[in-house]
Amino acid sequence: MTQDPLVRIDQITKTFGETVALENLTLDIARGEFVTFLGPSGCGKSTTLRILGGFEQPDSGRVILDGTDVTRQPPEKRHVNMVFQDYALFPHMTVRQNISFALELKGMDRAAIRARQDEIMDFLELGAYGDRYPGQLSGGQRQRVALARALAPDPALLLLDEPLAALDAKLRGQVQQELKSIQRRTHKTFFFVTHDQEEALTMSDRIVVMNDGRVEQDGTPEELYFHPTSRFVAEFIGETNLISGEMRGREGDAVVMDWFGQTLRGHASGTTPRPGETITASLRLEKLGFHNARPETGNAVQGRVVRKTFLGSRMAVDLAVEEAQGATLRAFVDAETGQAVGSDPVWLGWDSDSMAVLRD
Amino acid sequence: MSSDASARKDPSGLAGQPGGLTAWGRLVAWGPYRALADFTTASPRRQFVILAAFPILWVLTQHLGPMLQMLRVSLTDAYPVAQGVEQSFTLDNYLRFFGDRIFWMPFFRTLAFAGVFTFCTLILTYPVAYFLARHVSRRNQMLMLLLLLVPFWVGEIVRTYAIMILLGNTGAVNLVLKWLGLIDRPIPFMYTSFSMGVGIVYLTALYMLLPLYSALEKLPKSYNEAAADLGAGAWTRFRRVTLPLTLEGISSGCTLVFLISTGFYATPVLLGGPSTTVFAETIAGFFHVAGDEWPTGAAFATIMFLAALLITGVFQRVMRGLRKGDTG
Amino acid sequence: MIRGNRIFLSCAYWAFVLYVFVPLILMVMMGFKDSKFIGFPIRSWTLDWYSGVFADAEVLSTFGYSIAIAVLSTIASVVVGTWIAVLLERSRFKGWGVMFGLTVLPALVPGIISAIAFRIYARYLGIEPGMGAIIWAHAVHNVPFVVLVVMARLSTLPKSQIEAARDLGADPLVAFLRITLPYLVPAILGASIFCLLLSFDDFVRSFFLGGYDPTLPVLIFAKLKSGMSPEINAIATVALVLTAAIGIWAERFTRRANKDTN
Repeated sequence: MTQDPLVRIDQITKTFGETVALENLTLDIARGEFVTFLGPSGCGKSTTLRILGGFEQPDSGRVILDGTDVTRQPPEKRHVNMVFQDYALFPHMTVRQNISFALELKGMDRAAIRARQDEIMDFLELGAYGDRYPGQLSGGQRQRVALARALAPDPALLLLDEPLAALDAKLRGQVQQELKSIQRRTHKTFFFVTHDQEEALTMSDRIVVMNDGRVEQDGTPEELYFHPTSRFVAEFIGETNLISGEMRGREGDAVVMDWFGQTLRGHASGTTPRPGETITASLRLEKLGFHNARPETGNAVQGRVVRKTFLGSRMAVDLAVEEAQGATLRAFVDAETGQAVGSDPVWLGWDSDSMAVLRD
Repeated sequence: MSSDASARKDPSGLAGQPGGLTAWGRLVAWGPYRALADFTTASPRRQFVILAAFPILWVLTQHLGPMLQMLRVSLTDAYPVAQGVEQSFTLDNYLRFFGDRIFWMPFFRTLAFAGVFTFCTLILTYPVAYFLARHVSRRNQMLMLLLLLVPFWVGEIVRTYAIMILLGNTGAVNLVLKWLGLIDRPIPFMYTSFSMGVGIVYLTALYMLLPLYSALEKLPKSYNEAAADLGAGAWTRFRRVTLPLTLEGISSGCTLVFLISTGFYATPVLLGGPSTTVFAETIAGFFHVAGDEWPTGAAFATIMFLAALLITGVFQRVMRGLRKGDTG
Repeated sequence: MIRGNRIFLSCAYWAFVLYVFVPLILMVMMGFKDSKFIGFPIRSWTLDWYSGVFADAEVLSTFGYSIAIAVLSTIASVVVGTWIAVLLERSRFKGWGVMFGLTVLPALVPGIISAIAFRIYARYLGIEPGMGAIIWAHAVHNVPFVVLVVMARLSTLPKSQIEAARDLGADPLVAFLRITLPYLVPAILGASIFCLLLSFDDFVRSFFLGGYDPTLPVLIFAKLKSGMSPEINAIATVALVLTAAIGIWAERFTRRANKDTN
């Protein structure tokens, strides 16, 4: 829990009929943070966003914004603005009118509105489009107008509901960078919702992975990627080798496990397994290194190449580990290394720290 | 309403003035408005109550009210109640209906006419709707449909009058027949069930045509092509594919036309004769002749309404059964 | 085979066009006949009947009366109908089906029954037969049409539009006025025209709820009962031109408006 958070979500539960959308969610969001809620559809991420925006009311629990309980406040009273998935630009208003919509209702006078319009349009490079209607803009431009409209009233918290989903893949990468830089320059708190793990990893300061109305894991992109604590997170983010075996014991911080007769050492942060239990560990593909001889530290097994898949800058190599009853591991290596591996068995090595023991 | 238009004149939305609040800014800053808005939005429940109260009240008092009041009057012995007289409950007004042939004959005649006219309308408009939906290009469809719509904006009375001119003894039809040498003496079309039928079909055709057209238009052409591919002839294709899939349109068109047909008053008066008196004329009689017989009129109207609802209800159920039997 | 079908269907269509247009064309022609006697053939033509109509204060005032009733009842129908449509389209509540059924009820009640139910209810409410009673009956009768047209349009307005407005600080009323209403304009205009025509053309309700002043259809009906005359054709033709013109204009307008916003 951070000191003086901007948003405190306090034990929120929300059900729709029989379905539980959120179960006892508690979470703090710090000022200036770019936090992403990530998860498959129906995981509760959008419900959280809509509760923050004031479009849904939780069955129980509170939302504290800047020290004030806003749980029962309608959207228009909250110092929170939103970028909608379909942008929801008003089709009968020009870009300028869209931007001034909130400013007028805030009671700003015309001169101040004009100045703010200019400022925000300048900031988002929309200057040339002020008198256009949304129908006359491209997808990327509309997205920026939606952002401008939401930022214009200077909200404490900006909600973004999958705002990149409607853009084509090429544009999306560029807009991701832009969004991140806008967030950095405005020092605003961004609450971003997406089902796209790559998007989440690229932009966020912090990612909250949701599943079935509950938080699976909450951490920085690096933590989530390299040290997932649950099987769900390990599988949802990126590609991984799942290694199941029997827990043997502990050696300091490391957990010792038996994998088809091979002794491996891993790292457990989200769980405390006991000897004799069956455990699963996640090993990222790029953490596997190829060696000509058995490496001196860390885990090592010998494997034989089964298949190579060329992916441009790198190569995915599937290897069968004969000593582990032919179980396969997959590794990402650079293309040259990949080409070089022949049909002879090769040593695979990895740090015990890079293998994360998961909770099921 | 005008914000769309004003947007075009004033793209910045600020009407070019340097200072001061905008109109919307002034409105929401105005104390009484603010109080009203805060009161309304205090809870979602209150907001719903404020939105729903007027419509519910309106529908109950204005839509349901007249029907209930008619029902109530039909069960009393006198209306309006004279001073000092007790109004009492009675079923006499309903019993009166069964007691006299001059009451129930027009009733059954009306239902029979409405049924026959509805069927005629269906037969007449189905090919038209089919042609429009299937054989005309998208662009022309709208124009050709519009061509049919125009006459239907003209009122009931004017169109009834047009039929009178068409079918009169010195009307256009008789003129043409005489000119062709087919007749010596004009055929008396007018004041018969024939002239009434021509008039009522003329008035209701659109209400059949539109549901049929939209049902046919929704039907993918590929269904027919698939049927043809499987070796079905034109008639089989129509009977086994097109007809079953447009039953819904037929059902709603017929229901609408039937209900409308039973309610005509002026058209039967103008186009019909003594042998074609419909129940609408009987009902109207209780409200026009001297002596106030409103309770009886109300009872007869109630009988008519219930009968029409019953018939259309049964009809729709049968059609639904057919639809299920054919598609499921 | 297919070709034969096509020819048959095309004949059916054009025969239907004739059926729909010929009686009206004949009726219009008869208004120019230079004789008091209605019937064919027409041997000589005149405009006297029209000059008669435009000189007849009673007929002219009847036109004005009908138009006034149409305009006032339409305003009431549109306000009430739009309100009900917003309720029905924007919220799902217990009894929604009942509410919808009651909403469309006046459109399903056969004409004569509707007219006498209104007549009885007007007396119950203490509304005297006359202009007020007709306006009221037309307004109630036309509400369902407004509701259906407005609901259809409203169902295509993305929910996010209203949410965005609320999010940007608009209370529900401001959101309605600035977002929903502009979006509904084409539907409201279309429904208004439809109500105007329904009211202007209505006979049965006007007949049973009218006082001493007749509306136009009631006047034509009364004149017809006392005998056909080319004068009636002239009156009917003026009414026909008026309604058809409004109808065509509305059709073009709504089509253009729909194109604009989509």
